[in-house]
Amino acid sequence: MNLEAFQKIAASNLWGNLLPEIYLVALCLLLLVFEMVFRRQDLLLLFRVALWGQVLLLVLMGLSYFGGFPSGREELFGGLLVQTPLTETMRLFFLFGSLLVSYLGTRFLRARNLARTEFFAITLLVTAALMLLVQSNQFVLLFVALETVTVGFYVLVAYARTSGYSLEAGLKYLIMGALSSGLLLFGIVLLYGVAGSPDLAGAVGDPLHFPSLAQFIAAHPDNTLVLAGSLLVLSGIAFKVGAVPFQIWIPDVYQGAPTPVSAFLAVSSKAAGIIVLLTLVTGPFAALSGWTIPLISTVAVLTILYGNLTALPQRNVKRIMGLSGIAHAGYLLMGVVAAMTVDWAVGAIVFYLFTYLLASFGVFGVMALLSEGQDADQELDHYEDLAKRQPLLAAALTVGLASLAGIPPLGGFIGKLVLFIAAFQAGLYTLLAFSVVGVVLSIYYYFGWVREAVFRVWRSAEGAGSATPALPEPRSLTGLDRTALVGLSVLTLILGVAPFVLTWFLQL
Amino acid sequence: MDAFFLYLAIFLPFGLGILLLFLPERTGEGAVRALGVLGFAVPLAVALFLALRFGSAPVEDGYRFLTAIDTGLSSLGIELRLGLNGISLPLFLLAGIVGFAAGLHALQSNAPRLRLYIALLLVMQAGLMGTFSSVDIFFFYFFHEFALVPTFVMIGIWGGFGRRSAAIEMTIYLTLGALLSLLGLLLLYVQSGAESFSLPALRDALAAQPLGETVASNAFALLLFGFGILVSLFPFHSWAPRGYAAAPTATAMLHAGVLKKFGLYGLIQIAYPLLPEGAGNWQGLLVWLALGNVVLLGFVTMAQRDLKQMIGYSSVMHMGYAFLGLLAFSTVGVGGAVLLLFGHGLSVALLFMLSTAVYHRTQTYDMQEMGGLIGKAPILAAFFAAATFASVGLPGFANFWGEFTIFISLWETYAWALIPAALGIIISAIYGLRAFSRIFMAEPSDALKEHWEENQVQDLQVRERVPACILLAGLLVVGFFPAVVTGPLDADLPGLQPAAAEASETILPHDATESSRLAATAPAAQEGSAVR
Amino acid sequence: MLSLNAFLLVSGLLFAIGFFGVLLRRNTLVIFMSLELMLNAAILALVAFSRFNGIMDGNLFVFFIITVAAAEIAVGLAIIVALFRKRQTVMVEQLNSLRH
Repeated sequence: MNLEAFQKIAASNLWGNLLPEIYLVALCLLLLVFEMVFRRQDLLLLFRVALWGQVLLLVLMGLSYFGGFPSGREELFGGLLVQTPLTETMRLFFLFGSLLVSYLGTRFLRARNLARTEFFAITLLVTAALMLLVQSNQFVLLFVALETVTVGFYVLVAYARTSGYSLEAGLKYLIMGALSSGLLLFGIVLLYGVAGSPDLAGAVGDPLHFPSLAQFIAAHPDNTLVLAGSLLVLSGIAFKVGAVPFQIWIPDVYQGAPTPVSAFLAVSSKAAGIIVLLTLVTGPFAALSGWTIPLISTVAVLTILYGNLTALPQRNVKRIMGLSGIAHAGYLLMGVVAAMTVDWAVGAIVFYLFTYLLASFGVFGVMALLSEGQDADQELDHYEDLAKRQPLLAAALTVGLASLAGIPPLGGFIGKLVLFIAAFQAGLYTLLAFSVVGVVLSIYYYFGWVREAVFRVWRSAEGAGSATPALPEPRSLTGLDRTALVGLSVLTLILGVAPFVLTWFLQL
Repeated sequence: MDAFFLYLAIFLPFGLGILLLFLPERTGEGAVRALGVLGFAVPLAVALFLALRFGSAPVEDGYRFLTAIDTGLSSLGIELRLGLNGISLPLFLLAGIVGFAAGLHALQSNAPRLRLYIALLLVMQAGLMGTFSSVDIFFFYFFHEFALVPTFVMIGIWGGFGRRSAAIEMTIYLTLGALLSLLGLLLLYVQSGAESFSLPALRDALAAQPLGETVASNAFALLLFGFGILVSLFPFHSWAPRGYAAAPTATAMLHAGVLKKFGLYGLIQIAYPLLPEGAGNWQGLLVWLALGNVVLLGFVTMAQRDLKQMIGYSSVMHMGYAFLGLLAFSTVGVGGAVLLLFGHGLSVALLFMLSTAVYHRTQTYDMQEMGGLIGKAPILAAFFAAATFASVGLPGFANFWGEFTIFISLWETYAWALIPAALGIIISAIYGLRAFSRIFMAEPSDALKEHWEENQVQDLQVRERVPACILLAGLLVVGFFPAVVTGPLDADLPGLQPAAAEASETILPHDATESSRLAATAPAAQEGSAVR
Repeated sequence: MLSLNAFLLVSGLLFAIGFFGVLLRRNTLVIFMSLELMLNAAILALVAFSRFNGIMDGNLFVFFIITVAAAEIAVGLAIIVALFRKRQTVMVEQLNSLRH
């Protein structure tokens, strides 16, 4: 390589564009140093640093948009990274998610008396990796970012190391996660090998780079190794998303993991999977749409049906959230298929993800606040009379679940609406029909949960004394808890009544 | 300026409902009641005011009082666009009247947590006013759900026996119906290429470039069955009687009286005018389903012992007539359907209210246990008799004009269906009068006599009489002066029908003396007005 | 000199052994070894492709994979040890407390 090429690469090393990630990693290191300096593990201090540090980043990122939200497409670091309005939006999404996870985590850590710093440090690290993951434009970076996320999640899922549930969930996630990484990696290797092969016409010099790979695949869409490789890569991503048939880990892991981590997995990890899938099928694998569209459509139908049908008889609320989360992944997959032919469907997916984030964190927040430490065994019965005991929690739960079910005038409804419109424009009628079946099924279990929490308030006295062991009464809510729950509910409502808050800001 | 009143009718009750939720706990009942009355009275006042101004208001795109606000989804063609035409005005008025009566009834009831109850009713009222004044079909649907969701909550919390299963059955049925109709609306939006959810824009786009036969037929089927489930079209009706029997009174009044009309309103306002080529395939099926409502459910109604269940079934049964009115999409048939919706909304709300009044005096809904109430409460008996007569369709009440004109329109299209339809009238007369005689005339059961000996039974109180009088007045006014409803209908209905533009001659009855002229001219006018 | 296909054959065999090992074995430690086998299969193929195609990106990638694998092993073994302390077993079929 000559000097000029180096200069060209160096000119695209715009570290300034990676400031949010750098900031998060610095914050993570700062927390670790803090622990060394203040040996007595002052939880409140660490918590404040982690939380306010992230709030500060959110504010700084917000301030930087006064010059205009980034538009257009910019390649950085010699094509390793690509930044678009979509990736910028997802950065905010992940930051918002990690902020909420940090907040929920404090409560959990306090109840379980576990080592504290690492939880925040790993959350921040995972968030930085998630941001890089959606920006990656090259398979090495994609793999490394994905593995950083996954390894971080192994630790987080097994975080309550005194609990057998959490460790078992951690092991299951580890095995399934490593298996999917293996599939993904082997797929990448096959693509790398075939695209760089000098025997084939149109072989490219840097086969790990998405645009060059796209070029090669467009020239050889029927090559066996290309097919095998892309199928393996898609399987690896499907695991992250929790799509059928890679969904088997979800209920167990969601149930066993600490509630804040379940929320993190449900929202941020799934969102990253969907966005990466979107990047792949519209980028390097665009020429394969002949079989990717039917494949993903079939997977989406199965995912929607599996998630909703298995959630119907569940009594454990964490499993309900896990299984219904599978169904939501199915709707999002429908969005991905739509996005392959209809451009603006990407905006619909992002909008759906935001409403899903708000509603999910509302519900998981209520679950975390109710259960304190022992959270793997939360049953629907524990929610009896919630409206009487904790009206605020019941209200937040109702708003969250109603939004997940897609009931107007909440954000979830608009999210489903735009997704459905996109699917209509893409002509996905079969998928739409199954989605409607799924939505109607989901009403049953979401509504059953709300019924348990709200409508049993005036039941007769004979019903008292149920067989389920009661959870300890949660300690009273702090001002922050109230602010967070009310804030999430209000945002959900605002997105439903005035969706332009998001669409104007993000210019989708 | 008139547009401002439309916003007022929607956002004032909504705002007051939210305000009630957030008022401090110690707020006096007096303040809650005052806010409630304000929230229910303003929509009624607006509806009456706009009805008076309707004739003189300028017409724009077939609508009057047209107004729009950008919601930020304009890239998808969604705008908050409000306005009224001849079809929506009667229903807007109906929502105002029934809402006011139901609100007054709820305010004087002793429901626990009255504040929350009133707040939810106000939100529901806001949704109702919104759905019937929306020109944008997205908001038309949105406001409907706005009114629907509080219904589930109210049944779940304040409902009577079997409320939990009734609430969940109703939720699933109605969600399914709403989703199907939403899919139909989205299909219309996507296929028309209008890039807008606004009805006039959709109409223009479809007129310029009609959908293919298959697409139109599929879209129509989605709308027909989606809306049909919402109106409890046979065989998707089972949620309705159970839900109404379990619902608190004011909720049942608002839902059976007004919200349920949404489905038929959607068919009249959207499905038939926009998809005339799709409607043809389904008329043959629809006539059987509608007759199923009328005859089969008529017999089921006769078999009911529970008063509330009976009223619930009878409301389902009468919806069958409205569907029959749609079969010939003619001015007469549709006009009759709208008249029937109006009259039925008032009469069924009145019946639900009076059945609760009966319950308070007998402590049972089982008609076999009742009897002899006429001696104890003659005024209640008089109101009940009037409501029953109205529901059966006796002249002098609004329902009469609806059923009468529907029969005339049937003569033109499915003349054989007149026989089962007439049978339905007889059935409804039988069960109506039998219920009346069981409740008021028969020998009271021993348990009831005992109850009456221990407790003082009063006649209908003033606070119950006021809402009853409002509803009855509405029935009588339209019964004697149908022009209140038919005037606006005559002005706007022909415009909705692609094939019937020439049938602009006034053929709907304008006052009670005109029925003979109507009978003479209708068949002649119909030749031009029938779509098929 | 060996051909590319020979390398790929070995790599594919290793991958298949690893894959079916994960699915079929019941001891978590063996499962874990099978997972590492899958990663090593990928590394072998990567190096072979890199050598025969003359593109050095692959050799670079290997370092990242080794690092990732090391991190995975560290975390994984820690979880397995902690779980063994809690349950006194490393067999998959006995780890079923999370099914209701």
